[in-house]
Amino acid sequence: MVDEIRRLSDELASNPGSHVFLRLGELLRQRRALEAAERVANRGRERHPGLAAAHDLGARIALDRGDSAMAAEAWRSVLDLEPNDVGAHKGLGFIAYRAGRFKEAEEHLANAAKADPDDTSLTLALETVRQALKDGAPARPARSTPMSTPAVHTRRSSIGVALFSDLAEGAETVLLVDKDGLVLAGAAPGVTVDRSAEIGAHLTGVSEEADRAMRHLDLGSWTAIVIEAPEMSAALSPVGDGALTMITAPKAVPLGLLRRILTRATDRSRAWFDGNGA
Amino acid sequence: MSTQFTPVLTAVMKQRGVTGCLLVDESDGVIIDSTLQFGMRGNVFAALVASLYKKTRQSIGAAGMGEASLLQLDAERGRVFATGREGLVLVAITDLRANSGLVRVELLKARERIA
Repeated sequence: MVDEIRRLSDELASNPGSHVFLRLGELLRQRRALEAAERVANRGRERHPGLAAAHDLGARIALDRGDSAMAAEAWRSVLDLEPNDVGAHKGLGFIAYRAGRFKEAEEHLANAAKADPDDTSLTLALETVRQALKDGAPARPARSTPMSTPAVHTRRSSIGVALFSDLAEGAETVLLVDKDGLVLAGAAPGVTVDRSAEIGAHLTGVSEEADRAMRHLDLGSWTAIVIEAPEMSAALSPVGDGALTMITAPKAVPLGLLRRILTRATDRSRAWFDGNGA
Repeated sequence: MSTQFTPVLTAVMKQRGVTGCLLVDESDGVIIDSTLQFGMRGNVFAALVASLYKKTRQSIGAAGMGEASLLQLDAERGRVFATGREGLVLVAITDLRANSGLVRVELLKARERIA
């Protein structure tokens, strides 16, 4: 992939007006080189403001960077140019769903389904959103729906996904990770690919820092960490032997519910460790 | 000594169970202002919590979850809350009697006043 990126960069440099930036930006995004991907996409959009694919690329990069507002703006630009663009409707539906705006999510997914009636995954996604509308509460996105995959890639399933399969209640991710941040069970579908390994590795760093702090503060051992971000919340709890249970959920999921899921997942993780684990 | 931030910290301290409130520079963990119960080691606390908050912010960002707005750490004998803005970290330490929801709301309000 590195060679391909270099080749595309050279090609773009020699012909800045070409559409090769679309492929280059996408490859950089897949490699998580998001700043570079964003620069490429922005330059492409400046040169080709009437090209829907350029805005779509910018949207997917923005979403990967955690900037839903910018992603939504870019996908709205796509719809200004291509009102029936399936990817843009999927993306906007996903963002609306994560923010708890289920009616808006339903409208976008219905538009996507209308434009691509053969895509059965859209039907599943619509069912999930309609169930959420009916329940009046956030529902767990179906793992195989496109709501968590507005882009073009598929996810892998984490081994042990079944351990928490009945626990989600609105959570996007429920993971059990070992002391090295490696996923033992659960899944994190993420936006474009299953990012459980990445999320596990990064959040383990938080627990290590908490362990360090606790050694110096007169508060005993830590029992839970809850982190709020503008559109997501995360919660961690130690399981034993350095392992952690981790949960992420859209902001629409109340913190109290997030904590309840965390407690139940942690209890289950401990039981799993006792029966199967290390 | 009072600073422009002292009223902000005092408002947080009024919540039941809050035993300390500090405003810390995120980059070096140095206290800018603090209100602490007698006996608390403010400097150590500030450095450790600033470091924890910084690590959290970086990890959450790297995990693609955007910018962390509030961190709550529950421990056996108390809780720590931290929220940041423009290189400053506002920290509250509570005992187990504190109402987490109220402390959280008060901290988020205070966060808007520290920039």
